[in-house]
Amino acid sequence: MTGPLASNPVGRSFDPAALAARYSAVLILLLIIAGFAIAEPAFLSADTMGNTVKQASFIGIAAVGMVFVLLTAGIDLSVGSIMYLGPLLAGIAMRDMEVGVTGALLISVLAGAAMGAINAFFVVALRIIPFITTLATLFLFRGFGAYLTSSRQLDFPDEVRGFGLATVFGLPMPVIVFAIIVAAAYVILVHTPLGRQIYAFGNDAEGARKAGLPTARLQAFVYIASGMCASLAGFVLISQIGRLDTGFGEGREFSVIAAAVLGGASLFGGVGGAFSAVIGALTIQTVQAGLVYTGINLYLQPLLLGLVIFIAVLLDGLRQARLDDSRRRIIRPFVSTPASMSSPKSRTTKEPSP
Amino acid sequence: MNLRTKLLGSALVAATAGFVAASPAQAATICFAFQDLETEFWVAGHQAITTTLQEGGHTVIERNANEDANRQLEQVRDCIAQGVDGIIIIPQDGESAVTIVNEAQDNDVPIAVFNRPPSDLSKGIIVVADNASIASQAVDYIAQEAIAANPDDMLQPLIIVGDLGDPNAVGRRDGFYEAINRYPDNFAEPIEVASEWDAATALANLEAAVTANPDIDLLFTSSDFLFPTIRSVLEPRGMWVPRGQDGHIMMAGLDGDATACQLIQDGYVDATGVQDLYFEAESAMNAILAAIEAGEAQPNEVIEDPGFALTAGNIGEREMDMWGCVLLSQGFLDQ
Repeated sequence: MTGPLASNPVGRSFDPAALAARYSAVLILLLIIAGFAIAEPAFLSADTMGNTVKQASFIGIAAVGMVFVLLTAGIDLSVGSIMYLGPLLAGIAMRDMEVGVTGALLISVLAGAAMGAINAFFVVALRIIPFITTLATLFLFRGFGAYLTSSRQLDFPDEVRGFGLATVFGLPMPVIVFAIIVAAAYVILVHTPLGRQIYAFGNDAEGARKAGLPTARLQAFVYIASGMCASLAGFVLISQIGRLDTGFGEGREFSVIAAAVLGGASLFGGVGGAFSAVIGALTIQTVQAGLVYTGINLYLQPLLLGLVIFIAVLLDGLRQARLDDSRRRIIRPFVSTPASMSSPKSRTTKEPSP
Repeated sequence: MNLRTKLLGSALVAATAGFVAASPAQAATICFAFQDLETEFWVAGHQAITTTLQEGGHTVIERNANEDANRQLEQVRDCIAQGVDGIIIIPQDGESAVTIVNEAQDNDVPIAVFNRPPSDLSKGIIVVADNASIASQAVDYIAQEAIAANPDDMLQPLIIVGDLGDPNAVGRRDGFYEAINRYPDNFAEPIEVASEWDAATALANLEAAVTANPDIDLLFTSSDFLFPTIRSVLEPRGMWVPRGQDGHIMMAGLDGDATACQLIQDGYVDATGVQDLYFEAESAMNAILAAIEAGEAQPNEVIEDPGFALTAGNIGEREMDMWGCVLLSQGFLDQ
C-alpha cells in the first residue's frame, strides 16, 4: 500500500500521533461523517452511505487517473473536457453507427486515451509544461465537442441508462466500475515495476532519468491513464442521466484534483496512491450529501464545502510536514548507504512546504 | 403533421411576414452573441431569431461564447469593431450582461438582451420572462392537485434550485415559495436541492435528498432540462409513476421544452411554466430594428413576457402555444 495508507517504512514502535498523522485523510473523512451523523442521525443509514459511494464514483474514477499524473508532479487540467468529449464521441457512434453499449464504452475509453496521448505528446515530446498543455487542451477538447454538436444536447439510447442504473449483487454499476479502476490502479502502482518507476520519477525526476528509467514513457503513460479514467468517469455518469449537454464536466477538473489531494496525493509528486482517490472523492461527496441532509441554506453550501476542503487540505499539509520531520530525523543517519529506488530518501532532501 | 401544427406553422409564417413587412427598408447587420445552445430553449430561441432576421433580409453575425463571459465581451467588441447596426445577446450571467450592455452603449450601438436579464435593468432593451409569476402559476397548479388528492395530509414539497447567481433561478425560486406559501396548512417546509444548472450536481444532490426524505409529494425543477436527471433518481426507487397511479409525485418544471411536453403527454409531469419564446424573440428583434430605424443609439426598455403554465388540465387547448410542443411535433427529440 502506498501514500497515505502505507505502512510505516522505518518500522518504529507504535506511536498514536504518528499513526494519526499518517491516516489523517481517513480520520478527516470519519470526522466529517461523525459531524453530519450527530446533526442528522439518518445520515449514517446504509442507503445514504451507498448513495454517497455511488455518487462519489464519478469524481473518484477520474481522480484515480489524476493520482497517476500527480505522482509524477504533473497536472491534468483537461479532465473535465475529456469527460465531455469522450462520451460525446461514443454517443455519436451509437447514434450514427448503431454501436452497442459495450462498443460505446470502449470508444469512450479509447477516445480518452487518445486525448491523453495528445497531452502526453506536448508534455513529453515538445516539453511544454503540463499546466500550460492541459489548460490549452481543456479549451481544445471542449471546443471540438461544441463544434461537433453546435452546443446541442445529445440524448443516449435507453440501453445506456440500463447500464448505468444496473446493479450486480446489489452493487450499483458505477460503484463496480470504480472498484475495478481502483483495484487496477492499486495493482499497477504497488505490484508492478511500472508503479515503482512512477514513484521514483515523482520523487526525483533527474535521479530516475540518470538511473536509466524510461521517463518519457512513464510520463506518457500517466497522461494516457488520466485521459482514459476521465472519459470513463464521464461515460459512467452519462449512463445514469442519459443526456449529455455542453456544460457537462465543466469545472470538474477542480473537484478531481481536490479529491486526489484530499486523499493524500501530493501536488509535488511522489506521494499518493489508488486509495487517495477513494478517500478524497468520498470526502467531497460526503460533505455535499451532508449539506443536503442537514438542510443548510443553499447560499451557504458552496462556502461550507470550500471551508471543509480548505481545513482538510490544511490538516493534510500539517500532517505532511510532521511526516517529513519524522523521516528526516530517522533517515539522516543512513543517507550514506545506497537507498532503494522506492525509499523515501528524496523526500528528506526537500524542505517542508511553507 | 397534424392540423394544429399546420395552423401554427401558418401562424408563424404570417407573423414572420408581418414582422418582415414592418422591418426597415434598409437591411441591417445584427450581431447575435449567445452564451451557448445547451438546452432546447436556447436552441429554439437561436433558431427563431436567426431565421426570422435572415428571412427579413438582414445579415446576422453569430457568435457563440461557449459559456465564457469574457469571451462574449470580446466577441461583442469584435462585432462593434466590424460596425454592426445592432446587437442581440444572450448573456452568460446578470453581471457580465451589464458590462456588455455598457460596452455597446458607450460605442453608440443599440443592444437588446434576450431572456437572461442584466442585474441592472435600466440600460438596453431587456426582454425578460416574469420568472416568479410563471413559476408560481405552474407550482400553484400542482399544489392544488396535490391537496385535492390528499386533503388531510401535510405534504412534502421539494424544489431543485438553479444557479443562484442567475436572476432567472432566483425568480423561479421566489415563484415556487409564493405558491407554496399560499397553503401553509398543507405543505411542510420545502426541501431545497442545489443544481447550479448542472445535471451531475443535481443528480448527486437529488439522490441524497430523496434518500433522506423518501416521502416527497411535490417536486418542482427550476428548469425542464433536469427532467432526465430527475427520472434517473426516481425511476430506480419506483417513484417515477404516471398520473392516476399510486405513488405519482406531482411534478412541474419551467421553460416549456420538448421533453417537458412529452412528459406531460405521457403523464409523468403535471405542469410546466412556459416562457413565450416566440413572443420574446420577436420583441427583441422588433425593438432593436425599430431603434436602428429611428437612429436611436442607446434605447432603454424592459419588455416582460408574462408566460403561462401548460398543465395536464389545459394541454388539450394550449399545447401548441408552447414552443417545446411545437418542436416536439416537428420531431425535435428524434433528431
